[in-house]
Amino acid sequence: MNSKTTFRSIGSFLLQIPLWLYFIVSVYPLFWMISYSLKNNDEIFVTNPFGFPTHFRFENYVNAWTQFNIPRYFMNSFIVSIISTLFILLLALMFAFAVARMQWKFRSAVRTYMIVGMFMPLQVIMIPLALLVRDFHLTNTYGALIIPYIAIGLPFSTMVFYGFLVSIPREIEEAACIDGASIYRLFGRVILPLALPAIATIAIFQFLNNWNEFTLAYILISDENMKTLPLGLLFFQGSYSTDWGAMGAVMTIASLPMVLVYLLLSEQVERAMTVGSAVKG
Amino acid sequence: MNKYLGNKPALALFLLPALILYSVILIYPVLQSVVRSFYDWDGLSTATFAGLSNYRELFSDPLLATSLKNGALFALVLVVFQIGLGTILALVCANPRVRGRKLLKTAYFIPVVLSVTVVCQLWIAMYDPTNGLVNKLFDVLGIPYQQNWLVSPTQSIIAIAFVNAWQFMGYQFSLLYAGVKAVPEDYFEAATIDGCGKWRAHWHVTLPLMRETFKFCFTIAITSGIGAFVQMLIMTNGGPGTTNYTLTFMIYRYAFLESNYGYACAVSVLLVLISLVATVVINKVFDRGQHA
Repeated sequence: MNSKTTFRSIGSFLLQIPLWLYFIVSVYPLFWMISYSLKNNDEIFVTNPFGFPTHFRFENYVNAWTQFNIPRYFMNSFIVSIISTLFILLLALMFAFAVARMQWKFRSAVRTYMIVGMFMPLQVIMIPLALLVRDFHLTNTYGALIIPYIAIGLPFSTMVFYGFLVSIPREIEEAACIDGASIYRLFGRVILPLALPAIATIAIFQFLNNWNEFTLAYILISDENMKTLPLGLLFFQGSYSTDWGAMGAVMTIASLPMVLVYLLLSEQVERAMTVGSAVKG
Repeated sequence: MNKYLGNKPALALFLLPALILYSVILIYPVLQSVVRSFYDWDGLSTATFAGLSNYRELFSDPLLATSLKNGALFALVLVVFQIGLGTILALVCANPRVRGRKLLKTAYFIPVVLSVTVVCQLWIAMYDPTNGLVNKLFDVLGIPYQQNWLVSPTQSIIAIAFVNAWQFMGYQFSLLYAGVKAVPEDYFEAATIDGCGKWRAHWHVTLPLMRETFKFCFTIAITSGIGAFVQMLIMTNGGPGTTNYTLTFMIYRYAFLESNYGYACAVSVLLVLISLVATVVINKVFDRGQHA
């Protein structure tokens, strides 16, 4: 190896240091959370605040799961996220099909009308929505979250589906028409399977959004039994600050499903989460 | 064919569910907010028309100045940390010589998928003045900089904004990384062959070609700074005192804690206007660069 290449590889090594420093900044807080979920207060505060737990105290997890409402929060989050995601997919795909493939007069106007919602800061609908939910007697029901989540998910999802559907060749409809397939059959048997990659992307995106949504849930849900995970976890602040181990366990349990999903499907998740830049930009 | 694709009942079936839901849940409330902002209204009794008085009151409300200042600071932290640092990391990471790129990208992105509540609770623990990781880290490094992070009226807004910046760094990083990757390598190589240093080549070639990416990243960072809420709510409940108020926090307080709905609607309208202006300005700034 001559001196020039040595110099270069040292240079590129030095250059990579910020990357690994940020790696630590990004991951260490999570490592810290998991490790304190396995420690007791004495170990967290005094004997071993930074390092790996010396003794795995799994009883923190048992305490967290049995004493608190965790299973309930999980179920609520799951129900709300799954149902709203399914409806978003169905309604957005139908809408996008009508706008992208069917022939009618005001389709570009209706499409523009739907796009407006993408640029609307959600804070502006917070108050009227809370009143609307109250007037429909939906407060503290799954509907209080599911219905707004569906509506909020629509503008973005329809645009992604629209972009996908317009790229399919025109001949598809002709073939279906000649074969005597009804337009419903065309949608269900031809368009839907073709759109599967876009459906998968939007499904991940919306599920993650709905699973982690906080603000509307905070305003619309007050009943302990209806709280979703992000909301339920608020409760631990203060009330259980004396038992940090159990709090760490609760936080770890709450994070694990999404982290696992991400680790298994990292590329799809990243693509789903960043697809917005292509649509909005 | 036109008849086939213009099937009216099918059209209604496909369009209407989405259209009705969207109109009732999103568009109608926006219009409601605008209309209600001209009324005095407690949410229950009959509203009385108040003209511009809510807006006049708003502009003399000391909370408005606090909220605008905090929104600007919050946005600034996001821009510097996520876009500034994120761009440097993306440029380095895009170098094919870097090993472990997939691991790095995955590690940066993990916080994005976590619940904001978990992230805030985690950072409350880390900012704890006596037992928290942040102060202990300064201690271990021998830096005498022990702070009561979330209680200090001057630092807490920065500390809170940093939590958001930390959580969504991976998101901005992914966008920026994709932006760097989308610049054809020949351009960069041509510049280095012409005698440009690497960083100069990036500055003159790579970054200008990432205009669209930056436009989007700035829009996200600045509008989420203006509308910040959740971190303030969870970590300090707007305090100490009212020092960590933002526009969204004002809406929340006036509507849901003080039942002053008309006034809260006026704040919502202002928030939308500011976000719109910010978006337009960002677009103008980045588009002007293009024609220069």
